[in-house]
Amino acid sequence: MSTARHLHRETTPGGKDVFQTRYPHFNVLDKWATPDWDDQTRETIRRRLEDVPSIRFLSPSEVKTLEAIVDRIIPQPDRPAEAKIPIVPWIDQKLFEDKRDGYRFEVLPPQRESWRLAIAGIEETARVFFKAPFHELDAPSQDMILKRVQQGDPPGETWKQLPSHVFFGKVLAVEVVKVYYAHPAAWNEIGYHGPSSPRGYSRIWDGGVDSWDAKVEGPDHGTP
Amino acid sequence: MARRSPCDTHDTNGRTLSAPGINGERVPMRDWSREEVEFCIVGAGAGGSVLGAKLAEAGFSVAILDAGEHWDPTKDFISDERAASKLFWTDERITGGQHPVELGSNNSGRGVGGSTVHYSMVALRAHPDDFRRRSLDGAVPGADLVDWPLTFDDLESYYDEVEEALQIAGPTFYPWGRRRRRYPQREHQLNACANVLVRGCMRLGIPVAPCPIATLSAPHVDRPPCVYRGLCNYGCSTNAKSSTLVTYIPRAIRAGAEVRPASMVAQVTHDARGRVDGVLYFRKGQEGLHRQRAKYVVVSGYAIETPRLLLNSASSRFPNGLANSSGLVGKYFMVQPSHQVYAKFAERINQYKAPPPGGAITEHFNRTMPDVGFICGYVIEVIGPHAVEFAERLIAGRGLWGVALRREMLDYNYFSGLGMVGECMPQRTNEVKLHATERDQHGLPVAHVLFGFHQNDQRLIQHARGKIEDIFKAAGGSDVWDAPRTAHLMGTCRMGRNPSDSVVNADCRAHDIPNLFICDGSVFPTSTGVNPSITIQAIAARTADRIRDMARRGEL
Repeated sequence: MSTARHLHRETTPGGKDVFQTRYPHFNVLDKWATPDWDDQTRETIRRRLEDVPSIRFLSPSEVKTLEAIVDRIIPQPDRPAEAKIPIVPWIDQKLFEDKRDGYRFEVLPPQRESWRLAIAGIEETARVFFKAPFHELDAPSQDMILKRVQQGDPPGETWKQLPSHVFFGKVLAVEVVKVYYAHPAAWNEIGYHGPSSPRGYSRIWDGGVDSWDAKVEGPDHGTP
Repeated sequence: MARRSPCDTHDTNGRTLSAPGINGERVPMRDWSREEVEFCIVGAGAGGSVLGAKLAEAGFSVAILDAGEHWDPTKDFISDERAASKLFWTDERITGGQHPVELGSNNSGRGVGGSTVHYSMVALRAHPDDFRRRSLDGAVPGADLVDWPLTFDDLESYYDEVEEALQIAGPTFYPWGRRRRRYPQREHQLNACANVLVRGCMRLGIPVAPCPIATLSAPHVDRPPCVYRGLCNYGCSTNAKSSTLVTYIPRAIRAGAEVRPASMVAQVTHDARGRVDGVLYFRKGQEGLHRQRAKYVVVSGYAIETPRLLLNSASSRFPNGLANSSGLVGKYFMVQPSHQVYAKFAERINQYKAPPPGGAITEHFNRTMPDVGFICGYVIEVIGPHAVEFAERLIAGRGLWGVALRREMLDYNYFSGLGMVGECMPQRTNEVKLHATERDQHGLPVAHVLFGFHQNDQRLIQHARGKIEDIFKAAGGSDVWDAPRTAHLMGTCRMGRNPSDSVVNADCRAHDIPNLFICDGSVFPTSTGVNPSITIQAIAARTADRIRDMARRGEL
């Protein structure tokens, strides 16, 4: 449909080169045993890498839908399945423990209810537009649905109970990046140095690059 | 008064407690849980810690209760954004109104030290004009602008005192506000983000200066200087940061105060005469309500938990909550407009390096300016979000997600940010009240926080956004974008001279109940245009001296 083509114009997925990093040789984990990582931080990141929680709250069909949603909010076509940063298990853990954020917009139902409604609402919108489950749609169709959710006008009865734009912008997308950009593989691609205690940094000025910083490919314009 | 030796850590039953030190050790601590104390302070944040330490040093018996943990920075603080959620108030609060404020990690602390454990350490004094906004700017439709019952002169020596205790690092000459003596420690180096502000301002002729901040630039007693690790908003694991956790709290414990963590106060209780006589609290891992008896109670829970506790303490004698004969407990809730603006640069910036305030600031616009269509002003500060927070800004400011978000994040190290902190008009309709149906894990009504910007606030934000864009462009930045944000909580128990239009007097003493004090950001009748922490601490330091002096004169 024409609306769909218009809306997903900017977000057409590409191959590996779409996410060309400036730091191809940077691996933040190389600093595991250096003065940048103290014991408590090593233990925290070890658990993040090794102890990915199993699904305990969402149903298998909800997980299937949420996996498809998350895969559009943070697409990882550049990584083989086993190397993708896990996101849904951590969202499920938050819901299982019902761990809150310290505030809830009054227009939103309680956390667990909001997530369940959003997943059901996106499924309903998928059926309205395409008469198919969300996870079976192609990426442009999924993006079109999520755009409508972000704008606050997706079709579907479910959305009468949940203002979709508030949930998308303040909860759903935020929770996904909270998990993704907390992972060392995501730090590598953006050159974020991550843990830095107790050593810290010395070259904090413009273009300053410490010997333990991520280096850009090619001639480094940093200060020695 | 129960006078005792400061190093006596045994109670009448010979029991001893210990508390975390700041370098992995344990320190002995007095146990007051079975006795009546003179002062029970609820909340160990910026206000409660300073007041508790000074009262204990003045010889009063003091118990400071906090809902969160008592951390040992070197063991418990993790160099990671995601792991920092334990430092924030994550219990549910309901936020609404025309412009609902975001709470949680943004502006609330949980645990000993309160939000000073994760604040950005900007240590700015309010200006003399900030205490007399009504006299200077006149009445503002829709807002209740007032003069404070305190003046800058009342607080000036307490700013000196607190800045010395925290060893604020700042310039020899600071160009705004009343002339002052030099800061206790030398200013910090500028990071790349601060250089952007300096470069842009100098090209535009806007005065700019080193920013005074509460982290050490030289060793001080048992604490080392800052190593610029940049994770200040997630807890300082090297003890350079002068939070109250590593400054006033150790003083309080040494002077014989007990700091009791994991103790969520449910109610301030009173006797038949209507004088408060202690608190009831839940202790983590223990059944039922506990009681701490006290001759005086100080509520220092910040501008949401303080009114919530006073309202939750309603009784047949005080059906509208404690200290609320004016009906103003919870009213005039204020947050400072803290809009952020970002630009991209050709050279590498590395936002994550060094404390977020970067080392530079301009207060040039922190005044009522002619011909701008709004009153009061704002400061422009450097910011330095880490990976997760920066991604959140891209969502909030530009609505990015999908391929577009991941691609923009690849340039993370080439963005630089500036943020405003500005004055917020006090409006009666902005308030903290008890939610009609929502309850917390203890069954207590949660806070319902309602907020909407005044037209003056919105004009001020637009002005600041424009000035920051000018600065970025002058500094060589491109692709300027912005993300709305608020920070800092104030109001809800405003101080004033008249019991009919305020909750406490200039000494933070409740008009209605003479042995009840409120000492935190909630007493601010107007917000000022600067970060509030050092003013909260100066007010607490003054309140301690006033209490000591009143006790000596038999007026307490």
